[in-house]
Amino acid sequence: MKLFLEKMADIVETVGDFALMVFKSFRYMVTHFRTGDTLIQMDRIGVGSIPIVFLASIFAGLDMALQFEVVMAPYGARALLGKVVTTSIIRDMGPVLASLVMLARVTAGISSELGMMNATQQIDALRVMGVDPLDRLVAPRIFAGIVMMPILSISGDFLALLAGMGISTAIGHVPAPLFWSGVRDALTAQNLTNAFLKPVFFGFILTAIGCFYGIRSSGGAYGVGRSVTKAVVAAAIWILVANFLLSKLLINVWGLS
Amino acid sequence: MIQFESVSLGYGDKVVVSDINIAVPEGKTMVILGDSGSGKSTLLKGVLGILQPMSGRITVDGDSVGDLDEEALLLYRQRIGMVFQEGALFDSLTVGENVGFWLWEHTDWPDDRIEERVRTLLRFVKLEDVIDKRPEALSGGMKRRVAIARAMAPQDPQVMLYDEPTTGLDPFTSRSICDLIRQVQAEFRVMSLVVTHDLHDAFRVGDLFSFIHDSKVILTGDRKTIEESKDPFIRTFLST
Repeated sequence: MKLFLEKMADIVETVGDFALMVFKSFRYMVTHFRTGDTLIQMDRIGVGSIPIVFLASIFAGLDMALQFEVVMAPYGARALLGKVVTTSIIRDMGPVLASLVMLARVTAGISSELGMMNATQQIDALRVMGVDPLDRLVAPRIFAGIVMMPILSISGDFLALLAGMGISTAIGHVPAPLFWSGVRDALTAQNLTNAFLKPVFFGFILTAIGCFYGIRSSGGAYGVGRSVTKAVVAAAIWILVANFLLSKLLINVWGLS
Repeated sequence: MIQFESVSLGYGDKVVVSDINIAVPEGKTMVILGDSGSGKSTLLKGVLGILQPMSGRITVDGDSVGDLDEEALLLYRQRIGMVFQEGALFDSLTVGENVGFWLWEHTDWPDDRIEERVRTLLRFVKLEDVIDKRPEALSGGMKRRVAIARAMAPQDPQVMLYDEPTTGLDPFTSRSICDLIRQVQAEFRVMSLVVTHDLHDAFRVGDLFSFIHDSKVILTGDRKTIEESKDPFIRTFLST
């Protein structure tokens, strides 16, 4: 019982610390926005992730179109391929895939970088020089994640649809205009809200969790390694949980269309 | 004056140093000596406000560090220069950017004025030629010198703290770092607190000395007091 209570107290403390870090970071984004640092992070988090996100999106689009073509062809429903592939990609597959691909690069990168800064007393040095690490290190990263993730995810969705159209035309013999007509049908307000809103939350999760574990890391190289593992696992789980919750929320708001 | 009044410091429930009573007068350098893990560096964290005292209070020029709120603490730390054990230079910045960091953060000086100040400081530590290099390109001794220059970037730091400034350096480099600490002391008349386990370096830089053993201060005084002490721990320390 005592162990259980201690564990619960730990969890409450961790959640409290995380909430405080996020609150202060957002406050810094409003009161003391660092343009230079934020642009550097947008370049590292966003521009640096373009190749891997785009590659993953293209193969996801190819695979989804292929699988749906196999399932739908016997029912003579190939004409709906564009709509089905688009709906799957922009509502769920695109944002989740882009986030999970970026997880390894962004969350692991941030937590290891901040963890090493902690281990080598660079974060203490910032505090000593009268600079809050949340202002200098955390706020620019979270802002960059929130801004760049939707841009990457939506660009990746577009490439996935192009790849899906390629496969549908080449293997399913679906004319490209028919495929694009399905794509247009699927670009509803609800689907577009999914496509934009989910990556905003995922970008926040990827960066905030990376920062949180990095800045709390202790114990040298071993401690940094442990923080990176914790950050990656936590971010992966929270992306999947947030995806479900957002899907449910948006279905409740928009209905089942 | 830096004053520790019955101060206990620690991590979580673990007390690292207890009932510390020491004072560093204006313009003097006090060296904290003791074996590894005795809590010497913990005292510096207390002065910086990174650790809050479990009991007692630490005052710097009358300001009780434990009573400062977060914003006041950030302002208070601007009066303090800290040289970390390995330098703790920001590895994403060049040497010049490291030294100018405080000025970019806390002043609205134009870039050319900041660069002039950075060059002056680097000239003072005899490293002007590495201004554009990254910290990883520097030797251990050079990193400490840059760290000292960075700590002095505020126009008038009132307090300088040094955490094991010569650890891991060869004897010649150690000596040059000690000379630099003395030079900072002589030119800027700051109060300094130096943590070290090296007695030779301690005697080179210090005016006053304080020994920590078993989490307590066992003796504080000038060199003569230390050398005449009969305490077995200090005798052993002196003989090695």
